[in-house]
Amino acid sequence: MAKAIRQIKKEGRTREEEQAEAVAGIVRELADNSEAILTMISIVKNLHEMGALDTLSALIEKRNDVGVIAIQQINKPEMHKTIKNGINAFNFLGTIHPDQLKTMLSGMSKGLERAADSAEKEETPSLWQLGKSMRTPETRATMAMMMEFLQGMGEGINEVPRHNK
Amino acid sequence: MEDNHFSIQINGKEFPATEGQTILQVAKSQNYEIPSICYHPDLGTIQTCDTCFVQVEGELVRACSTKATPGMQVDSLSKTVKDAQYEAMSRILKNHELYCTVCDNNNGNCVVHNTAEYLEIEHQKYKFEAKPYPPDNSHPFYRYEPDQCILCGRCVEACQDLQVNETLTIDWEREAPRVIWDNDVPIDESSCVSCGHCVTVCPCNALMEKSMLGEAGYLTGIPANMLGPMIDLTKEVEPGYKEIFAISEMEAAMRKARIKRTKTVCTYCGVGCSFEVWTKGREILKIEPSEEAPVNGISTCVKGKWGWDFVNSDKRLTKPLIRKGEEFVEATWEEALKLIAEKLTGIKEEHGAHSIGYIASSKCSNEENYLFQKFARSIMGTNNVDNCSRYCQSPATAGLLRTVGIGGDAGTIKDIAASELVMIIGANPAESHPVLATRIKRSHKLHGQKLMVVDLRKNELAERADLHVHPKPGSDLILLSAVTKYILDQGWEDKTFLEKRVNGLEEYRSSLNKFTLEYAEEKTGLSKETLIQMATMIHEAKSVCALWAMGVTQHMGATDTSTAISNLLLVTGNYGRTGTGAYPLRGHNNVQGACDFGTMPAWFPGYEPVQDKAVRERYEKAWGVKLPEEPGLDNHQMVEGIHKGKLKALYLFGEDMSLVDSNSNFVDDGFEKLEFFVVQDIFFSKTAQFADVVLPAAPSLEKDGTFVNTERRIQRFYKVLEPLGQSKPDWEIFQELANLMGANWNYTHPGEIMKEAASLAKFFAGVSYDRLEGWNSQLWPVAADGTDSPLLYKERFAFPDGKAKLVAVEWTKPFKPGEEFDLHLNNGRLLEHFHEGNMTYRSEGLTHKVPHPWVEVSPELARERELEDGALVGLTSPYGHVEVRVIVTDRVKGNELYLTMNTSEDIEAVNKLTSSYHDIITHTPAYKEMDVRMEVLETSGEPPLPKVNHRFGNRIPQISVRVEAKWKRDDFTPIEELIRGDEHGESNQAN
Repeated sequence: MAKAIRQIKKEGRTREEEQAEAVAGIVRELADNSEAILTMISIVKNLHEMGALDTLSALIEKRNDVGVIAIQQINKPEMHKTIKNGINAFNFLGTIHPDQLKTMLSGMSKGLERAADSAEKEETPSLWQLGKSMRTPETRATMAMMMEFLQGMGEGINEVPRHNK
Repeated sequence: MEDNHFSIQINGKEFPATEGQTILQVAKSQNYEIPSICYHPDLGTIQTCDTCFVQVEGELVRACSTKATPGMQVDSLSKTVKDAQYEAMSRILKNHELYCTVCDNNNGNCVVHNTAEYLEIEHQKYKFEAKPYPPDNSHPFYRYEPDQCILCGRCVEACQDLQVNETLTIDWEREAPRVIWDNDVPIDESSCVSCGHCVTVCPCNALMEKSMLGEAGYLTGIPANMLGPMIDLTKEVEPGYKEIFAISEMEAAMRKARIKRTKTVCTYCGVGCSFEVWTKGREILKIEPSEEAPVNGISTCVKGKWGWDFVNSDKRLTKPLIRKGEEFVEATWEEALKLIAEKLTGIKEEHGAHSIGYIASSKCSNEENYLFQKFARSIMGTNNVDNCSRYCQSPATAGLLRTVGIGGDAGTIKDIAASELVMIIGANPAESHPVLATRIKRSHKLHGQKLMVVDLRKNELAERADLHVHPKPGSDLILLSAVTKYILDQGWEDKTFLEKRVNGLEEYRSSLNKFTLEYAEEKTGLSKETLIQMATMIHEAKSVCALWAMGVTQHMGATDTSTAISNLLLVTGNYGRTGTGAYPLRGHNNVQGACDFGTMPAWFPGYEPVQDKAVRERYEKAWGVKLPEEPGLDNHQMVEGIHKGKLKALYLFGEDMSLVDSNSNFVDDGFEKLEFFVVQDIFFSKTAQFADVVLPAAPSLEKDGTFVNTERRIQRFYKVLEPLGQSKPDWEIFQELANLMGANWNYTHPGEIMKEAASLAKFFAGVSYDRLEGWNSQLWPVAADGTDSPLLYKERFAFPDGKAKLVAVEWTKPFKPGEEFDLHLNNGRLLEHFHEGNMTYRSEGLTHKVPHPWVEVSPELARERELEDGALVGLTSPYGHVEVRVIVTDRVKGNELYLTMNTSEDIEAVNKLTSSYHDIITHTPAYKEMDVRMEVLETSGEPPLPKVNHRFGNRIPQISVRVEAKWKRDDFTPIEELIRGDEHGESNQAN
């Protein structure tokens, strides 16, 4: 004869037993991963000595307040420009062919050398001398290139849709 | 090539097409990308988003609404097309703020995100404008955020024409259009049935599961005061959307690392919906349906979409319990199983193998049912094994076995959708098989399907029906036989079909002599005209499906009434063709499978009789034991056996028999007499209160397995979570117990159990886990090569000569307890809760919608007895007494009451009132044959059904989203005009 009953006695494990089992699990994992854990401890120790953990802990504790302040600082016109310019510059780099850039940069580096030399000279060249140097193949090559550059830049400016200007 | 196949060219490339397909469908069928947002394969063409513009012969047309014609040349890449698509997408983004990385819908499947990315949208042409409406968070499960809503109307289409609940519309007339519920009421107070269709089809985050909000993303839990400026910042500095998309895609990919997506099969009814469960740890983020699901596609009901909180309930059983004196004490598995093994062995030795009964679960898997009957038969040596189909569908199975030879649905949900006339007898699919009902409602609303409902109650389908007949309770057999006789008398029968494919016509015809219209009029209370109208509708339909459930099967003459339905279908030739057949709607997820896999006292798996020597020998050889020869006891006989002192012990799993068997007081008395009782469940059920040992089982989400749905479709479900606490999958428990009792079973996965069952039962010869992988499914019988059988009886019926049988049946007068019990008691399930509610009451949202059971009283009776909503009444039958609160409704008529069954409390439980009378053939209890008397205990009180229940809503039926109203707005400029007229003119549009 078994009457319907609802009473359930939760014997099973006590809180202490549950805790002991949890601790045993943690110790097992620690032992299995001792090398990684020891490295982590030394990192944490250094961070603590630096005072970095205090800062971090405060940051995490006050993450919402700090986040709001940070986002308010960032969400300003100057920052918008900085970020936008940064992204644009980054995109610009992505569009340049590396070989072309290399040629340009090696030319620039030579050009810089000569420019520095000329700055050291005491006397400035006369117009006649300048005119003469225009005739050298090197200068002409650069001039031609500059003309092409200007041409291309003009094309680029005209390509940008009107509503973006 | 057939006539209706041809080819078209898209961007110069050849594409095969079929007549009736749109350009978009042709492209999609070959995975060719034409952008689209509002189009959804399960919904069809909506024409609101305009992103699918293409050019055909120089004209801009929508690919979603333009039918492909032979030789058509389509261009989807030219500048004009791109301009049109860009314009469309810009209009969408005016309504939708892109903050993908911090959006909970950024999971790789956001249609708006993916389309904007595909179209390489770099900048917004029109500035985003917030709408002047706050978000609607009133509903417990989902929210609507108008600011993010692109007004594509997918949700409206899904609500109006797929679910066909007709709650959502877009109000195009107001200045800023938005989606509204009913007549613009808060969602929670509307007619919304919480099926989730709208949320599932929303192509962005306007409609979201609340369980996803702040949970799905890494950054989405950010508080509003930080999120706002962050979105502003992103928009300020964005050099173009490309960079935003790159970051949001990275974030979406990261989400996949912690959100697990697992396919499962729903356990809330026999329809067999499948979908993915998204989990983060043990937390269920959402249910995500898929077009690939073979039965339901993207459809779900309130329980399937939202009702899974029970899995993490702190009321779950997590440790075995052993009765000690007046209390249960927690025990280890070892102690519990050892005790069970000892007790069962002892009782078997003392009283014989047949002194123990085994009750299986229609909620558990095929593999678990297979293993349980193997345990009962091969280890314990008895055929005393049954499942709860005994409480519902056994009579339907018996009626079909007699007439057509297979006890299952004749076809699939697609046949029901394709039928010209659906006849529903004693079933309430809109609440008990919600997704199946959607297919009927859709065909009825959009495709001219006729609907006939025979029911005491004006349930939802009865309300929508072309003809609703309300016969006297328990008179269906007369009604069906009279209609069949009239059809034969008119010469409307399918003569060729009967001659070629059916035996026994003449004998059957003469058995109908007594069922004249006059006799039927007297016994059913229906007029001759109504009966003739029914016969005419059946005669005029080229295809008829008959659906039935508990309204037929829970009567004393249940098997015979089921037979009468099948007879009617045979006489009119409605078997073996698309859109025809008999469909007993299985109530539980695996009622069909539990029977299929042998938890029945007279059958091995696959309906092979235990008395058949050859069959028995096959199993004896495979299992290496001698098997009992005679059929065992069914559920009903087991309870009788306990009272007679013959049955001493019971092992039951996954079944709350104390509440769901009829005449509970009698059943409970029986349980008290048992010497030993094992109950295995996920919760401490009412039945468990009588147990000696209670074992904690794991629900479907915590194990692998297969179910068979009402269509005979076998589908796999996969483990989503680990079993909670020390609970275990039922099959593992059986194996451990069996091995403790000397078996040497070594199943490591349910797939191995299925392999064994498939090797032994002919019906399942070609069933395998490999063939059932993912969304794949098989409908039995399955041949060894894997060929399955969606539609039965195409060429032959399942008898040796291939011919069906007309079987003469007699009417059994329903049970009447006596004059003093003056009100008829009807009863059944409801949409929001599963049965007694053990699982569904663990969901706060479901309980918010339906907190209590109630009794429905007709307005006439309420006037007579001076009752109003909330009054408390006592109902008394010869078997017991309950007390419940009243809802007055015209769903019921006259002296007929309807009591819902969603309670675990004795004082409200309908089966305290029902009797032990049963179907004369299958012993299914006659739950639907009871009269009661009613006394008023309190004339008023709080209504048992809150005002936030859909039953009080106000539907707004319409077809689709009424896009024409959008096009008529003054501020709408058709894109084709804009692009043609002015290559880049600014426009001022609604969206």
